[in-house]
Amino acid sequence: MAPTSLAGILITAMAFLSCLRPESWDPCVQVVPNITYQCMDQALNRIPDNIPTSAKILDLSFNPLKHLSRRSFSNFSELQVLDLSRCEIKIIEDDAYQGLHNLCVLILTGNPIQSLALGAFSGLSSLQKLVAVEINLEYLEDFPIGHLKTLKELNVAHNSIKSLKLPDYFASLHNLEHLDLSNNQIQNIHHKDLKVLHQVPLLKLSVDLSLNPIEIIEPGAFREIKLHELTMRSNFNSKDVMKTCIQGLAGLKTDRLVLGEYKNERNVEKFDKFVLEGLCNLTIEEFHVAHFDYFSENTIDSFNCLANVSAISLVSLNLDDPSYFLNNFRGQQLKLVNCRSNVFPQLRHLPLKKFVYTENKGVSTFQNIELPNLEFLDLSNNGLSFKQCCSHIHLGTNKLMHLDMSFNDVINIGKNFLGLEKLEYLDFQHSTLKGINQFSVFLPLKNLYYLDISYTHTHVDFYGIFSGLISLQVLKMAGNSFQDNNLPNIFTELANLTFLDLSKCQLQQISLKAFNSTPRLQLLNMSHNNFMLLDTLPYKLLYSLQVLDYSFNHIVASKGQELQHLPNIVSLNLTRNEFACSCEHQSFLQWVKDQQQLFVEVENMLCTTPLYMQGMPLLSFRNTTCGMSKTAIGVSVFMVLMVSVVVFLIYKFYFHLMLLAGCKKYHRGGSTYDAFVIYSSQDEDWVRNELVKNLEEGVPRFQLCLHYRDFIPGVAIAANIIQEGFHKSRKVIVVVSRHFIQSRWCIFEYEIAQTWQFLSSRAGIIFIILQKIEKSLLRQQVELYRLLNRNTYLEWEDNALGRHIFWRRLKKALLDGKPWNPEETEDSENNHQEATTSN
Amino acid sequence: MKTFIAAFLIWTLASPRDNCLSAWPTHTACKSGNLEVLYQSCDPSQDFGFSFDQCSKEIKPNLSIKFGLILREDIKELFLDVALFVKGVSFLNFSYPICEEDLPKFSFCGRRKGEQIYYAGPVNNPGFEVPEGEYQALLELYDEKRFVLACANATIIRS
Repeated sequence: MAPTSLAGILITAMAFLSCLRPESWDPCVQVVPNITYQCMDQALNRIPDNIPTSAKILDLSFNPLKHLSRRSFSNFSELQVLDLSRCEIKIIEDDAYQGLHNLCVLILTGNPIQSLALGAFSGLSSLQKLVAVEINLEYLEDFPIGHLKTLKELNVAHNSIKSLKLPDYFASLHNLEHLDLSNNQIQNIHHKDLKVLHQVPLLKLSVDLSLNPIEIIEPGAFREIKLHELTMRSNFNSKDVMKTCIQGLAGLKTDRLVLGEYKNERNVEKFDKFVLEGLCNLTIEEFHVAHFDYFSENTIDSFNCLANVSAISLVSLNLDDPSYFLNNFRGQQLKLVNCRSNVFPQLRHLPLKKFVYTENKGVSTFQNIELPNLEFLDLSNNGLSFKQCCSHIHLGTNKLMHLDMSFNDVINIGKNFLGLEKLEYLDFQHSTLKGINQFSVFLPLKNLYYLDISYTHTHVDFYGIFSGLISLQVLKMAGNSFQDNNLPNIFTELANLTFLDLSKCQLQQISLKAFNSTPRLQLLNMSHNNFMLLDTLPYKLLYSLQVLDYSFNHIVASKGQELQHLPNIVSLNLTRNEFACSCEHQSFLQWVKDQQQLFVEVENMLCTTPLYMQGMPLLSFRNTTCGMSKTAIGVSVFMVLMVSVVVFLIYKFYFHLMLLAGCKKYHRGGSTYDAFVIYSSQDEDWVRNELVKNLEEGVPRFQLCLHYRDFIPGVAIAANIIQEGFHKSRKVIVVVSRHFIQSRWCIFEYEIAQTWQFLSSRAGIIFIILQKIEKSLLRQQVELYRLLNRNTYLEWEDNALGRHIFWRRLKKALLDGKPWNPEETEDSENNHQEATTSN
Repeated sequence: MKTFIAAFLIWTLASPRDNCLSAWPTHTACKSGNLEVLYQSCDPSQDFGFSFDQCSKEIKPNLSIKFGLILREDIKELFLDVALFVKGVSFLNFSYPICEEDLPKFSFCGRRKGEQIYYAGPVNNPGFEVPEGEYQALLELYDEKRFVLACANATIIRS
């Protein structure tokens, strides 16, 4: 094949490829255009070159890059965050990150680094956070980071570092705030290890030494050292080691000391009150103890020398009754989390400002407390029951601003927060509230801005429930219920409300005035209710409403007002409803299409009905089909109407048409008359009024031969009958009646007619039975009787339909066998005659 | 010939990358005379190791398990969801918080993406006897952003 044609094919293929994959950053994902690129786990073995140079955040984790050579990232001068976790990097050459002047965060977690050049981190003039977890680091001295003067956080956890010896370069890391050395192999801490901290104090530094198997801390090692925080969890193998090590901390000043263990790591078996007595030689601001398995009552007595620390938190300890210790505590903050004790601690006259008592097991009833300075009280997640709640009598404070009683058992609201007027935050979620419907319980809470009564088994039937909450901004009341599933007008005083959650309240209706007094409402959550229609009328005064959530309802369509009542909405969630994608609601469906940008996950708004649209996106509805079907129906109705009119007209003007079309041209041929009428003079009235009128005046116009009018006077009757009647007529009409049979002349005429017909082969005889005749009478005329039995005859019926049919048949019969011209007439009549005789 | 080559080129270039990983192998977590526990990772990005020390129909309280995993996301908070099924019908669901943000219980809490975690220790389970039958379990470990860190489909066969 010629090279030119191959090139042509390649170009075509490339063009096709570029159409298929418009993302030039493939296989990476663009998270934020020109800023964030995610290339995690894409089997890249080199740094992709199709990422824009403007990228600020680049995640290359879990790619087998293996080797970082000089200036590997020189294309990314704007980069701020670089994630190289688990890239199998073994070698980092000098100047590997050169050019990354803006890099703040470098993550090297999980790389088995074997060779780290001395200049590996050069050029990182803005680096603040370096994560070097699990990189086989053994000596901090070997880590070439001395020039990273901007460094705030150094994480070298989970390495093989054996010594806490802080190299001299720490003296230049003035900004260092976090040093994580947890999960290393540090056993001994000597005085000289922390020498650099004596020389250049790093007052903001937090050090984590957890999970190191510490055996010795040389006494005085921490003397005169000031740290922001020191964390030591699961460091000691026995209580004796722990005791001597804590004594070794003597002289340390720290804002926060965290001691404790992890449930799944090394634990000190047995504990006594002497283990922690070394703490008396430390200056501690906050003291945190977490997860000591064998912590006991008398251990806590050793905390007495900590009575002056400002905050204590005790997490996951077995404390049967910590009241004695707690009542000697002079600090301002106390936290008891996940402790096992039998009784709610009796707290009287303590200077506490903040008390957190959460997730504790074994206590079932709340006991009144007396903490006159208390501002913050968190009693959540204890399964407590409150016999009486809530007033200053129960809590012993007038200063409370934050009260959290969520996730408890039954709370009886008997008092309306008397003396707790300063409350700003109140949370009762997932506790069972009783008595909330009896009176306006929140009446004195003029300062409250946050109230959560979600899932409190509250059935709202008292309209004054929220009276007095004039400052309320956030109200969460999901998972409750309302009388008649109708949202009544209960928010009348909540003029400052901005956030309202009414999800899962089984609501079906909203009273029209429900939101008339909440003009500042910005977010309204109505999801997981039972609404059938989107009705925006109640929101007509909510000019600030921005977010409206109606997901998980049974909404079929809107009530037709759509956006006119939601002028400032920016987000509307209607997912998981039961939309009817039919033409009936096409204005709603069109509105959704037009306003797509407002809807949350508009592609997930699915149709439920009609069946053929079930599960399809609402956006796939085509309202052109509606127009089409309307046209189709219109056209078909019009067609049917037209056809019926035409059919009617054809029927009505059959004879006119026949004359017009000329297909049966009316032609009397050689005859003067169309028919000679034989009748009894008794029936003359009928003949004159009916027969003559209809045949001679209608369309087509027939000419009848009637004896009283057309017979020539002075000629014998018999001659007239033959000359004028039979001779000049095409057909003979016989009007048969009782009188006809009884009349001799009539019978005579009839017999002549028969004879004449036979002889001249001229006219057909048309019988009209004017009235029913008894058979006996008819039998007198044997020939006539036989003929009537054999032939079709016309019977006169004196009603509208009968007449109509009669005249149509008669006219047709008279037109019958009436050809174009006389010659044909002759022939056809001959044929007809033959046919008759053969009968 | 030219057409054929062009078609072939377009086909190879346009066909999607082979993304569909074959499913992870099924591992045996425990097997004894009358109890067998099998599991399979349902996280497309990785497989993981899991076993428990005691394997009999009477499950003892505070069972010791071993569990190893490489993190693909930081875990500030961690939750476990367990759903149990019999013949496809769910009969027990529970959700259990494993890592809290403040002073967490376990040493692997707070670890970061790329780190390897290994847990060998007891779980806080009540003792019970496994009734005869075949059960399916879906286990999911996820963080505060609902990112799934590990996922397993397990089958428990008690004969």
